[in-house]
Amino acid sequence: MTFVIAATVGALFALGTFLLLRDDLVKVVWGLSIITQAANVYLIAMGGIREGTHDLVPILSGHGGEEVPATTDPLVQALVLTAIVISFGMTAFALVLSYRAYQENGTMNVREFAQ
Amino acid sequence: MIATLASGVAVLAIGRWPRLQRWGSVAGALAYAAAVAALAWTVVDGGALTYQVGGWDAPFGITLVADALAAFMLAITAVVAVYAAAFSVLFIKPANQRTYYHPLLQFLLLGATGAFLTGDLFNLFVWFEVMLMASYVFVGFYGNDTHTAAAMRYVVLNILGGALMLLAIGGLYATVGTLNLAEMAHLLADPGADVQTAPVVGLTGLLLVTFGLKAGLAPFQFWVPSAYRSAPMPVAAVFAGATKKVGIYAIVRLYFTVLGGVAFTADVPLIPVETAPLAFLAPVLLLMAAASILVGGIGAVAQDRLDGLLAYSSVGQVGFIAVPVALAAATTSPELRHLGILAALIYALHHALTKGLLFLSTAAIRDATGTTEIAALGGIGQRSPTFAGVFLLGSLSLVGIPPLAGFFGKLFVFDAAVTQFASAPTAGAAAVVCVLLAGAVLTIVYSTRAWIGCFWGAQSEAVAAGALERGEVAVLATMAVLLVVVGVGFEPVYGFADAAAEAALDGEGYVEAVDLEGGETA
Repeated sequence: MTFVIAATVGALFALGTFLLLRDDLVKVVWGLSIITQAANVYLIAMGGIREGTHDLVPILSGHGGEEVPATTDPLVQALVLTAIVISFGMTAFALVLSYRAYQENGTMNVREFAQ
Repeated sequence: MIATLASGVAVLAIGRWPRLQRWGSVAGALAYAAAVAALAWTVVDGGALTYQVGGWDAPFGITLVADALAAFMLAITAVVAVYAAAFSVLFIKPANQRTYYHPLLQFLLLGATGAFLTGDLFNLFVWFEVMLMASYVFVGFYGNDTHTAAAMRYVVLNILGGALMLLAIGGLYATVGTLNLAEMAHLLADPGADVQTAPVVGLTGLLLVTFGLKAGLAPFQFWVPSAYRSAPMPVAAVFAGATKKVGIYAIVRLYFTVLGGVAFTADVPLIPVETAPLAFLAPVLLLMAAASILVGGIGAVAQDRLDGLLAYSSVGQVGFIAVPVALAAATTSPELRHLGILAALIYALHHALTKGLLFLSTAAIRDATGTTEIAALGGIGQRSPTFAGVFLLGSLSLVGIPPLAGFFGKLFVFDAAVTQFASAPTAGAAAVVCVLLAGAVLTIVYSTRAWIGCFWGAQSEAVAAGALERGEVAVLATMAVLLVVVGVGFEPVYGFADAAAEAALDGEGYVEAVDLEGGETA
């Protein structure tokens, strides 16, 4: 399982980086959104991806005590939720901005943008 | 108290849709400054204040911490904010001000405030995004081809920076087991705690990239000129005065307060053995800072527009702030470390005031003449001696002439560098002093060029046709007076900065202030 997650995160980062380096503006935005999603997957994985008991969960192992039931780490999920909302907003903004940039510059090619 | 500070700004931002919003914005900035002043007074007098958001105790909840370091940075921000808000009312066209400008300005401040106050790593990320979201809109504010292109580059770069920061945060959480900065400091400094410290170096390296990106340090400086040129100029003043300082603040806070107590022996490639995060920071940051000074200085000399010149100069000046920070990281003596942080803070204050003044002056020039091309300007000195005097004071402060604020900034930076050289006379330390000198000479060159190009000589057509607005000149004059006041009455400022540097290095005090009794490990 760890291997699968690691491979997924790696593949997402590779794909995102590839897209980010393209000339086409929309592909750049896609690349950004893929990279942020990869970061989110990674963040989830940081909470422990085995079936959780309290000593697998960093924030519970230090503070909780023995009576904590088997659970996954809730903290990373809260973090990822926040990060997803932020990256969603950013993607929307980036798309609107790229449309506007297209209108103003008359091209989607990043290299032809005004300096 | 801190809650009123943050929410006050937010409420002002949202609650001012009618026409009153312009003056509301200025009043809001003033109220913000007053709250910051009260906060600073309490903090310097009585030690750090903390506020556990929502009543959840640290380390589970989010903690806001106001120590002297945060208060010092907030004070810088507040001063710049008041001037920027007041100047915006006069400078930006009323139609452009109508809907979004002032709320966004307040949100920009809110983001910076939150970043200064938060005691939680993930929360820091969130405040960064709040701040950046507002700044994206400002960079694209005028919405023509160059501006949208600049905004697009800025957005792409910062989203990438945000993703890197998330990676670092996730990794740190998995290694250390907490996101609370105070608890992190506590666990890392405690050899008994079962924490692997080696990955922390690499992960904080990722964070350093993000913070360096925010501060516009050398390999990441390329967004600065186009973004500063595109943003409305009062906002560029806030960018230079407050937003960049957030990056510097985060570096100081993370490396000195949180990781200052960490020492371990790990066999990390390229880094000396028995290393600490600070030992990793020192050479990297020093290189970045030195490169910033040179790139910024040379870039500024080559610019033919006043705002571009100031933007490049901003890159160089951030280098001047980062050099003493790196020196403080390199040394092991507490006095020199203290001196380094102190120098960085005082330079940050001076840079915020001076660069704010110069950006706003440029805005006034553009308002009057419709251009910022140095070639098209000339003879402003004849046209308005008062304004020329203001600009001269700003330039002199940038260069570092004695009675002004800039003198003490430069003095302390050089003091730190020379002390370091005296204590360990190596080639590296000598190179640092040389780079600082070269940077200072470049500063003199480009300030002189701006001054001679714009203010001396015969009046150009644009200058003869335009008239400076009295209100703008009045605002600038008060700012110039402030520069002199800070320089002449330096004693209290020094006391404040001294307390701030003390707080930056006092990791234990920080942990104590946050009061980790909610967790069993503490």
